[in-house]
Amino acid sequence: MFFLSKLLGSPVRDSADKAAGTLHDLVVSSRTAYPRVTALAVRRRGKVVFAPWAAVTSFEESGTLLRLPGADLGERDLGADELLLSATFLDKQLVDTDGHKVIRVNDIQLLRTGDDVHAVAVDVSSNALLRRVGLAKVGERLAKGRQNPKPHLIDWKDIDVEQTDDSSVRLAVPRTKLELLHPADIADLVHELSPEERAAVLDALEDELAADTFEELHPSYQASLLLDLPDEKASELLNNMAPDDAADLLADLPDDRRQHFIAMMEKEDAEDMRELLSYPEHSAGGIMTVDYAWARLDDTAAKATERLREQEEYVETVYYIYVVDRSEHLRGVFSLRDLLTVDQDKKVRDFMTENPVAVSTLATEEEITDVIAKYNLLALPVVDDEGELHGIITIDDAIDLVLPLAWKKRLPRIFH
Amino acid sequence: MAQSPRSVGRGVLGRIGRSRLMIFFAILGPGLISAASDNDAGGITTWSVIGARYGYSMLWLLLLITPILAVTQEMGARMGAVTGKGLAALIREKFSLRVTAFAMLALLVANFGTTVAEFSGVASAFGLAHIPPWLAVPPVAVGVWVLVTRGSYRKVERVFLALTAVYVAYFIAGFLAKPNWGTALHGTVVPHAQLNSLWLLTAIAAIGTTITPWGQFFIQAYIVDKHISITRYVYTKVEVYLGAVFTDAIDLFIVVACAATLFKAGIVVNTAQDAAQALAPLAGRAASLLFGFGLLNVSILGAAILPLTTAYAVTEAFGFESGLDKKFDEAPMFNGLLTAFILVPALVAIIPGLPLVKVMLLSQDVNGILLPIILIYVLKIINDTSVMGDYVNGRVYNTIAWAFSIALIGLSVTLVASPFLFRG
Repeated sequence: MFFLSKLLGSPVRDSADKAAGTLHDLVVSSRTAYPRVTALAVRRRGKVVFAPWAAVTSFEESGTLLRLPGADLGERDLGADELLLSATFLDKQLVDTDGHKVIRVNDIQLLRTGDDVHAVAVDVSSNALLRRVGLAKVGERLAKGRQNPKPHLIDWKDIDVEQTDDSSVRLAVPRTKLELLHPADIADLVHELSPEERAAVLDALEDELAADTFEELHPSYQASLLLDLPDEKASELLNNMAPDDAADLLADLPDDRRQHFIAMMEKEDAEDMRELLSYPEHSAGGIMTVDYAWARLDDTAAKATERLREQEEYVETVYYIYVVDRSEHLRGVFSLRDLLTVDQDKKVRDFMTENPVAVSTLATEEEITDVIAKYNLLALPVVDDEGELHGIITIDDAIDLVLPLAWKKRLPRIFH
Repeated sequence: MAQSPRSVGRGVLGRIGRSRLMIFFAILGPGLISAASDNDAGGITTWSVIGARYGYSMLWLLLLITPILAVTQEMGARMGAVTGKGLAALIREKFSLRVTAFAMLALLVANFGTTVAEFSGVASAFGLAHIPPWLAVPPVAVGVWVLVTRGSYRKVERVFLALTAVYVAYFIAGFLAKPNWGTALHGTVVPHAQLNSLWLLTAIAAIGTTITPWGQFFIQAYIVDKHISITRYVYTKVEVYLGAVFTDAIDLFIVVACAATLFKAGIVVNTAQDAAQALAPLAGRAASLLFGFGLLNVSILGAAILPLTTAYAVTEAFGFESGLDKKFDEAPMFNGLLTAFILVPALVAIIPGLPLVKVMLLSQDVNGILLPIILIYVLKIINDTSVMGDYVNGRVYNTIAWAFSIALIGLSVTLVASPFLFRG
């Protein structure tokens, strides 16, 4: 990964290792989601000439090497979907879909993927400003003081190139919906990083952020990536993940590694994992999570509220509270709204909804989505043949069943 | 419709026509308003001091400054009309970030000094009524802040500008004081310089109060805001020239009035009380009241315009959301800068024992010294065909502007070196 601002002005040398000029701009093709560099604009004796990307043998911040003689560089017109990256975007005003000003494009992050270089993100950090003004050290010192470095990259997918003109660079989302990326998320943007690189990036992150980043990765990468991480880091990652996600991931691992990671868990977590893993992957048992909010029949509303406060930290959703007896049988359900509006002395058994809609642990994906859609539920309890409550399936997990992964990422995060 | 982000005086044209009274103001446009705003606390004080200290002998400088003011303001107006962007945006997009940061730093320093001068003007004006600064300035600062952030500023701006007509008093006082017109004419056409640092400092202040860094940002923002296109530009151009002549005519009469009274009587302007005596031929005992009223008026206007210009320029350079119609958390940078640039200078101005007249004069020197930096950026951009197309500068313009910038740099360098060059 490297920055456009650091490349601009760097020396360009030709096939005879003679100075051919300095890097003036990058020509990119906007046909791909992440614009690919197709040529270099080189400033030579006050004139701008072009070198095709195919003629580049080495492309570094320290300088560029061409396999062409300098004299072969000439003028050329831009293609229909070609743009000058710096001239079009760098230092321009970023405006969201509502016309609100967000900030100026402080830098552009590029990523090398095989032989190609793509523009992948817009850097909007003040660190980028400091770096370009020549005060990078100040920026580093400021960053060191912070526990969680702030996300500061805008995914290039959020840039509306069509609407971008001389006056401003347009975003494809409103400012309030803009989700900034941590630099590490770049690993997720272009799935071209080598496994070693990905592991290195994750290892460098603190546990919670790594777990969040990890969950966003494509499932097919997760298992192999987990195996590339040091044991301790991998185990921390699993602990920080939601149990259902962790179980899915463990299911994809070879037997010995799976048993190894479960053994490293705390007793209670390990039991949950074993249970989740015992269900077929695409059944309700395999999809559900075991962290749900619960209350007892004889609790008062006040007592139930107190329980919810204690449970809030680890449950998946607080909107439904399930009523279970001592043998974990599902007896009823009530909503957060019920809890807030009833008399605080009222008993749970008096205001709960009896015989809640539930599915069996072996229910299929189709049954699950049908039930959730039919009853407009935010979560669906999963019970066994005896009516014992084993877990719940939240609507976001249900959405995953019907929508491709890429779509899900555009939805607002209600349940996080 | 969302408010144009770069606005400094938006919506003004739209409201005109609703009121017949406002038709008068319709003639007043960016050129006149921007130039008239030059006669702020620092401006009035500087020209008063010049008249009192050097009589008619520095009037030639005013004659020289007028076309340069016209040229620089016109360049700003033209850039706004052609590009639809503010000066800060053009600097950011055309130069390196390092250069932008430097320009913004220069603007921040100059504007901070000028805003302190505006509040010093407030303090001086109240000083005429023996009201101490600590009592007078804070309520005014809070008032300005409310005025600006609550958006009613736009309407009030025009009232203030109309009230600057009180400076017509100087025209009358100038005549009533029976100046020696022969000497005045001689001083206007025959250049005369003294080679000492006090004279140099005064000369730079005279230039720095008339042609200002903030004035360049202000007029361009105003043009952009009013959506004046290059096709209708010819009217604006005339109006910009008129503004320069009108403003400098006021300055000329301030100098004449002060020369005919203060200089003649050997009064050195150390306080507003001294400067007010120049209006005695017209107002007699009420001179203090008249002067105080005028000074307070322009100071408050300046104390509103300067923070606004600063906040717009800086947020534009870095791309933060801006606009008076935005809530604090919608545009935190803009509102934060605006607030800080009103309150901090106000606090500086109430430092006990602060020599107010000196502060007002010195802040204009800071403006004069930093002005060439901004002007060189302006000249670079306005001669760039990729920005200005066919509307780049002609040769005459470039000659005037470059010669002036270089001369001003020369003056500044001479000033810095003056303790070594000449004694006194």
